[in-house]
Amino acid sequence: MSRSRLAALYALAVILGIVTAWLWLTKVGPSGVDAGVWRVNLLAGSTSADAYTRARIALGALLALDRRETLYYIARSDERGESLRADCRYRLSGPAPAARWWSVTAYDEDFFLFENAARRYSVNGDTAPRDPQGQIVFEVGPESVTAKPPDLPTQGAGALLLTLRLYNPALSLQRDPGSLAAPRIDVVGSCP
Amino acid sequence: MSRPEHARPRPLLGHLIGLLIVAAAAHALTVWALPRVIMAEVLRVTRVEGSANADGVLRPPPADHTARRIVMPSPDLLYATCSLDVRDRPAQITANINYQRYWSIALYADNSDNFMVRNDREHGARALRWLIVGKDARYPIPAPRDVEIIEAPGTKVLLLMRMLLPEDSADRAGAEAARDSLRCR
Repeated sequence: MSRSRLAALYALAVILGIVTAWLWLTKVGPSGVDAGVWRVNLLAGSTSADAYTRARIALGALLALDRRETLYYIARSDERGESLRADCRYRLSGPAPAARWWSVTAYDEDFFLFENAARRYSVNGDTAPRDPQGQIVFEVGPESVTAKPPDLPTQGAGALLLTLRLYNPALSLQRDPGSLAAPRIDVVGSCP
Repeated sequence: MSRPEHARPRPLLGHLIGLLIVAAAAHALTVWALPRVIMAEVLRVTRVEGSANADGVLRPPPADHTARRIVMPSPDLLYATCSLDVRDRPAQITANINYQRYWSIALYADNSDNFMVRNDREHGARALRWLIVGKDARYPIPAPRDVEIIEAPGTKVLLLMRMLLPEDSADRAGAEAARDSLRCR
């Protein structure tokens, strides 16, 4: 085998290594504990995070805090197991999480906030609508699906990512984040 | 005439093993380097933009859809950041935070690990006085009684202050005043 061909093969091996790392970090779901359709990574922000967790957090949630301070639950699918989409309307419902303060934020597939004229980017413990039983109930999605405006507007037709942040979560949740009675995510109407 | 041993072409199996090792090394290096490269850029930008202020603190506006620097920004928090280099001297952090809602100050190493965080309930109402020193620092470290000394795992540190941003405008002004008290020197 000629030297130039060999050098090309080794360059290809380097590219293969970089590409597999990138695909593994961006396409394979992060490890963690599930609470309903939400997943929380227990090592986010931790000094004991493994190299893959650290790299995933750097790409998708840089400067996270550890679980004692904040728990970050992420949902990428609804109760049917279908991927969340920015062009579908969803209803989130359930008990308020046991934390000093909490919020749900909608992110576009690029991990940034959706543009919306009302500048509503999150629903939180102060602003969440509640039903007569005290359960939180609010809707996420595009403006045009139903007459009722969404509490959390989205745009476009790409993937939707929901993050539930619990600041100073209850001790029971710090110990067992999977025990969270997490908000259900049900699709409203038909999803195109 | 036979070829000398060292001039013989490498067998195919040897090349395959070599290629696998190179691919695995590139994979591992990418995973290892990614958070460090991203943090280096965040530290650099924070240092450049923070240096425009005499107190060394960068105070961005609340995150909205135009915020494209840090992924998954929280729209519910007011942030302040400092880029600290503690290789040749310690960094002095001071703040007088009189704010009744949630706040925290977190310190991140250059590999993105959150090696320290303190919130309002843990800290209380007293003035915040920290001295951050590099790992195995060889410079003299002053130790006044009211100053807490924190050892960083390296020499580059990102400080990130978070303050819960309330809907009420009076509380908002309180949050901004508390944030403005932060100094990084």
